[in-house]
Amino acid sequence: MHSQDPLLDIQNLSTFFHTEENIVRSVRNVDLKIYPGETIALVGESGCGKSVTALSAMRLVPMPPGNFENGRILFKGKDLLQASEQEMQKIRGNEIGMIFQEPMTSLNPIFTIGDQIIEAICLHQDKSHEEARKLALKVLKKVAMPSPETRIDQYPHELSGGMKQRVMIAMSIVCKPSLLIADEPTTALDVTIQAQILDLLDELKKETQMSILLITHNLGIVAQYADRVAVMYSGKIVELASVENIFASPSHPYTKGLLNSLPKDTISETLETIPGAVPHPAFLPKGCAFHPRCAEKMSECEQEIPGLQPLENHAEHQTACWLYNKTPAL
Amino acid sequence: MKKVLQVQSLKKYFPIYGGLLSRETSQVKAVDDVSFDINEGEILGLVGESGCGKTTVGRMTLRLLEPTSGKVLFEGVDLLSLKGKELAMIRPKMQIIFQDPYSSLNPRFTVERIIGEALSVHGLAQGSELRKKVETLMEKVGLSRMYLKRFPHEFSGGQRQRIGIARALALNPKYIVCDEPVSALDVSIQAQIINLLQSLQKEDNLSLMFISHDLNVVKHLSQRTAVMYLGKIVELAPTELLNRKAAHPYTQALLSSKPSLDPTDRKRPIPLQGDVPSPLNPPSGCHFHPRCPKVVDRCKTEIPRQIELEAGHTVNCHLYDD
Ligand SMILES: Nc1ncnc2c1ncn2[C@@H]1O[C@H](COP(=O)(O)OP(=O)(O)OP(=O)(O)O)[C@@H](O)[C@H]1O
Ligand SMILES: Nc1ncnc2c1ncn2[C@@H]1O[C@H](COP(=O)(O)OP(=O)(O)O)[C@@H](O)[C@H]1O
Ligand code: SF4
Ligand code: SF4
Ligand SMILES: [Mg+2]
Ligand SMILES: [Mg+2]
Repeated sequence: MHSQDPLLDIQNLSTFFHTEENIVRSVRNVDLKIYPGETIALVGESGCGKSVTALSAMRLVPMPPGNFENGRILFKGKDLLQASEQEMQKIRGNEIGMIFQEPMTSLNPIFTIGDQIIEAICLHQDKSHEEARKLALKVLKKVAMPSPETRIDQYPHELSGGMKQRVMIAMSIVCKPSLLIADEPTTALDVTIQAQILDLLDELKKETQMSILLITHNLGIVAQYADRVAVMYSGKIVELASVENIFASPSHPYTKGLLNSLPKDTISETLETIPGAVPHPAFLPKGCAFHPRCAEKMSECEQEIPGLQPLENHAEHQTACWLYNKTPAL
Repeated sequence: MKKVLQVQSLKKYFPIYGGLLSRETSQVKAVDDVSFDINEGEILGLVGESGCGKTTVGRMTLRLLEPTSGKVLFEGVDLLSLKGKELAMIRPKMQIIFQDPYSSLNPRFTVERIIGEALSVHGLAQGSELRKKVETLMEKVGLSRMYLKRFPHEFSGGQRQRIGIARALALNPKYIVCDEPVSALDVSIQAQIINLLQSLQKEDNLSLMFISHDLNVVKHLSQRTAVMYLGKIVELAPTELLNRKAAHPYTQALLSSKPSLDPTDRKRPIPLQGDVPSPLNPPSGCHFHPRCPKVVDRCKTEIPRQIELEAGHTVNCHLYDD
């Protein structure tokens, strides 16, 4: 069990988008605790609500059409959903760092990378320009930027994809956040660069006891870098367990399906697949949203949504599936 | 074994314009002296980091892009010498499937029109016969014929990729370039498409060039694998052999950077340092030398030649040249 209080405690969060045509139920009654110093991976197929969960925690969901339907997001005990925009600006980039998928669109093309890191520093810390520049250089060295003294005065377009992602990481950690939200931080990068960046984040985490919410759909990355794993499907967390348990004894049929559909090291003829596709979040099937694709579907699955409950004798391994428990969701 | 494709010393240099008069100031050597074959019914995997020239190679083998120099033989015929009618006759036998199932389909056309277009353009079918052929193709790639009149935006990513594959199959090709066909898809959908490509290879004896940067997918699917780095093939071997006995330091780095799916196995070898250099300004000698953990003096000046380690396994690296 965790002896400490959670750093981030998402309670019963629902985030919907009220578009002209319909209601998009992107995040539905999500509960998730992140403890100090842990990396928790949020996985699932595209469109299942990973990014909206992260954006909700940063209060960056566009409103309207977005809306928090219910829930609380406690960060160090304080409900972020009740915080003013001014308070959020103090927290963002300072206590909570973030790295997004697209480094190209996240950096401003008309400022040098040094200027952008310095701005991130001065926004949150009382530092002179000179001091901030020194710190910027230090953090660029920390993220292993090649020739940082030259690079600091260059513009984003003069850098490779890997270097831009290093700048993004430098900006996100320069204020020593206690939580880093990394949404597909290496998806756009090549494997050899990907390994460098993820090792770097892992080192920082160990050094500073930072917590990481790592969003990815690469299960190899999950296996290598996560402590715990939350599997999302159609806006809900359907399984939550330690990384060892997720890979060694997955329980939810969707988690099993994801793991089985990966090419294995043994040469097999055909891959196992999950039939069909993820439903659109405006047109969710009744009951367990996975039931149209589930080989183990029972009659109750089509009626009621299963709650996320601990497995018998495994308090830390939770699953939302009628095969394992008889408690409906809220 | 019958060779469907033979590629010899293929090069593509793109001009770079600059200066006051927009004169050609330099060149990008996107593909620089590449040779390989593809056998009938074989899948050749082509892997390498972004920008190393994979797409450029694929497009040249279809003559969608004119090579700067080199030879491409398709079923023994010199593709680059063909003109007009002759070229038009051979084109249907060679097709391409793209990475992005979203942008590669015309949004204003129905599925029926997208899949059937080539058949009607070539005057191979029309009316109810065309409809039947389209339906057969849809069945083959696992799309319900109920979708005939639907538009691309009404489909999921995996379904759009199936439409792209049906379109490529319409003219009974012998050879298909698959340029990252599953990279944009989720794993469960990726598995569906991989199974489909594999069944096509078996049923229709198709030859495929499978471009990817996912080494696990290439390992699962391809009989042989070629590894590219900055415009050159640096290693080529039967896939099983390449995974067991990778010889080139870059191939070794690629394989060891691939995250293992076993969370209890976290001893990560030191990842490769540095970024992929720009092909505009490639390093001298062996292009890989600034990042190579095994670099020796001659690597900095001398371009390594191709060495055959054993039958079918070639590598370009000074370590094996003595
Ligand atoms: N029309 C063009 N003009 C100039 N340079 C080009 C052109 N097309 C490609 N290049 C350059 O040639 C090199 C090889 O490009 P190519 O698209 O073949 O790479 P790739 O291996 O397919 O990469 P990716 O994995 O990112 O798809 C790159 O440096 C690219 O910028
Ligand atoms: N601004 C928005 N307006 C309407 N729908 C949205 C908006 N942002 C996200 N969505 C929808 O919410 C769902 C979850 O999205 P997201 O969290 O981005 O998925 P992912 O798990 O791939 O990160 C998707 O169906 C997406 O289309
Ligand atoms: S609740 Fe039913 S449909 Fe849903 S995953 Fe479990 S068995 Fe399958
Ligand atoms: S030739 Fe030299 S630099 Fe190139 S891969 Fe071999 S050892 Fe490394
Ligand atoms: Mg996302
Ligand atoms: Mg490409």
